Amino acid sequence: MSIIEATGICKTYHRGREEVCALKGVDLSIEPGEFVSIVGPSGAGKTALMNILGCLDAPSCGTLMIDGVQVTGKGEAELVKIRRDHIGFVFQQFFLIPTLTVGENVGLPLIFSGIPYDRARIDSLLDKVGLSHRAGHLPGQLSGGEMQRVAIARALVNKPRILLADEPTGNLDSVTADGIYGLFDDLHRQGITVIVVTHNRELAQRAGRVITIRDGCVERECGYPHVSP
Amino acid sequence: MNLFSLALRNLQRRKGRTILTIIGVAIAVAILFSLLSFSAGYERELTKEMDSLGFHLLAVPKGCPYEATTLILHGGVIPKYLTTEDLARTRATEGVKTAAPVLLQQFVKDGTPHIVYGIEPDAMIPLKPAWKVNGRFFTANETHVMVIGSTLAEKENLVPGSVIPFGPAQEPFTVIGVLKPTGSEDDNFHFLPLADAQRVFSKEGFITAIAVRADDVKNIHDITVELEKVPDIQVVTMAQVTGTIMNLVGSARSLLFSVIVIAIVISAAGITNTLLMSVNERTREIGMMKAIGASGHHIGILLITETLLITLSGGTIGIIAAMAGSGIIETFVRGMVPYAPSGSFFSSDPLLIGGCLVFSIGLGLLCGLYPAWKSARLSPMEAIRGEWE
Ligand SMILES: Nc1ncnc2c1ncn2[C@@H]1O[C@H](COP(=O)(O)OP(=O)(O)OP(=O)(O)O)[C@@H](O)[C@H]1O
Ligand SMILES: [Mg+2]
Repeated sequence: MSIIEATGICKTYHRGREEVCALKGVDLSIEPGEFVSIVGPSGAGKTALMNILGCLDAPSCGTLMIDGVQVTGKGEAELVKIRRDHIGFVFQQFFLIPTLTVGENVGLPLIFSGIPYDRARIDSLLDKVGLSHRAGHLPGQLSGGEMQRVAIARALVNKPRILLADEPTGNLDSVTADGIYGLFDDLHRQGITVIVVTHNRELAQRAGRVITIRDGCVERECGYPHVSP
Repeated sequence: MNLFSLALRNLQRRKGRTILTIIGVAIAVAILFSLLSFSAGYERELTKEMDSLGFHLLAVPKGCPYEATTLILHGGVIPKYLTTEDLARTRATEGVKTAAPVLLQQFVKDGTPHIVYGIEPDAMIPLKPAWKVNGRFFTANETHVMVIGSTLAEKENLVPGSVIPFGPAQEPFTVIGVLKPTGSEDDNFHFLPLADAQRVFSKEGFITAIAVRADDVKNIHDITVELEKVPDIQVVTMAQVTGTIMNLVGSARSLLFSVIVIAIVISAAGITNTLLMSVNERTREIGMMKAIGASGHHIGILLITETLLITLSGGTIGIIAAMAGSGIIETFVRGMVPYAPSGSFFSSDPLLIGGCLVFSIGLGLLCGLYPAWKSARLSPMEAIRGEWE
């Protein structure tokens, strides 16, 4: 069974009186444990799609199933639970809280999920992203790549099955970006479904599957491992 | 880590701004605390002082209620008199426990006014439990003797045994006792046996006022009604005196009250503004928190906690500052009110401290509610895009 099953997803934004169709009927099926890159020109609708897949935004039409559960039409309270239990988010701007230490930033989602604050889990995640020696530092003392690693550890603390990253390397140099992709690859090998938006076609190729979005539609797929139904 | 420690850390981000907001709250709460403490304390001290006068009402000649009030508070002379007959009728009135006649006279010596109290020691001394005398007190029938207040004794260099010329005829009088300081106007007076005072000032048979103590405070009203049936007598009760003073103080209090209202409004606007600014700056971060599993509820509680931390610490600092500075504030207030009782107005009543802390919490909830509600209902997608409005 697909972990993400999107059918006929449209998204229309209203800018004053003007209507912007960001997505025009996207069908997408992603299997558990896949590593997927999403590429496409600026303004194509990549972020719009990620927001919908991550339950941050509701589609204007179409349906979305996550892990076999129908998501479209659910209220905010239930969406919070789905985001919390199934999805980890990584952002281009890291969004670390400057007055919390690296370890505390990683543990932040635990405050909201009601899971007891688990230092051992935080330490093992920091170890996984190669930052166990920086647990007590403040984000301001880290480099951009290190900050993004902290953000990835934070996204994993609730043990999600899906990791969504919208241009996670957009603020990083190419060597650092490569390291981040290596990390995504490791996570994918450990069974986490990883979906990454990027502008860098070379990096995108490191994923098993590359989806190109253009003008609100899925234009082309490479390395699609399954036969379309 | 929990929501509370997250709130604490958030306040450390803009330390200067947080501290300024806390100071604003502290000032408002300090003013509020001082005002409420003063209000309660002033009335309490005034009542205590009136009680220490030892009598419940004063029978004075008709037409002189204001002079009588002054007389009670500062000593003074009334140009009309009651008679021995009025005293007899007062003593015969039901419910009267003690009726102490007083003859007041004033004379000027070396440019300063002196006040003479002619009293019956047997009637007056029981009304004045605070009186302690160095030397001895006179009996009713003695002549050419006096007891004087401590301030007067110090000013005139008099000790028990001193002999001074006294009265219109400059007769020799012996100071047989000096009162220990009482903190009241009594410290400035000459006390003579009533009969001798009447003789010296040629006021035989006359009395300025009669201080009456009821056997029970419940009977004060009945005694008043009964005494006012006597044609010469007008009654001034201590409750009336207290009421008059409280009315005068009331106007000073409403002035202070408008100051506090303004201070609170300013500080509330400051807190709300600080919160809106800090929430506005953190819009994207709030979006991030929602994306990683925070509900609107969590965000709301986080912001309310931040606000309460500000107002509660401000409130605590304000209360402590008000208590520490109560001496200075009291001096200032004493200059503003028409009559200041000798005891201290300010008290650290736990109920008042609790009330001010509750007020701080209420202020926090009031100011924090709108920013909290607004951030709680932000859609995560819009918040991440930084769309606050
Ligand atoms: N909240 C919004 N309100 C109005 N228009 C929006 C909104 N979000 C996206 N759009 C519009 O929808 C279209 C798709 O935007 P989207 O952000 O998905 O592009 P993108 O592929 O992520 O581009 P980029 O690579 O530059 O990030 C754009 O034309 C954008 O202007
Ligand atoms: Mg985008």
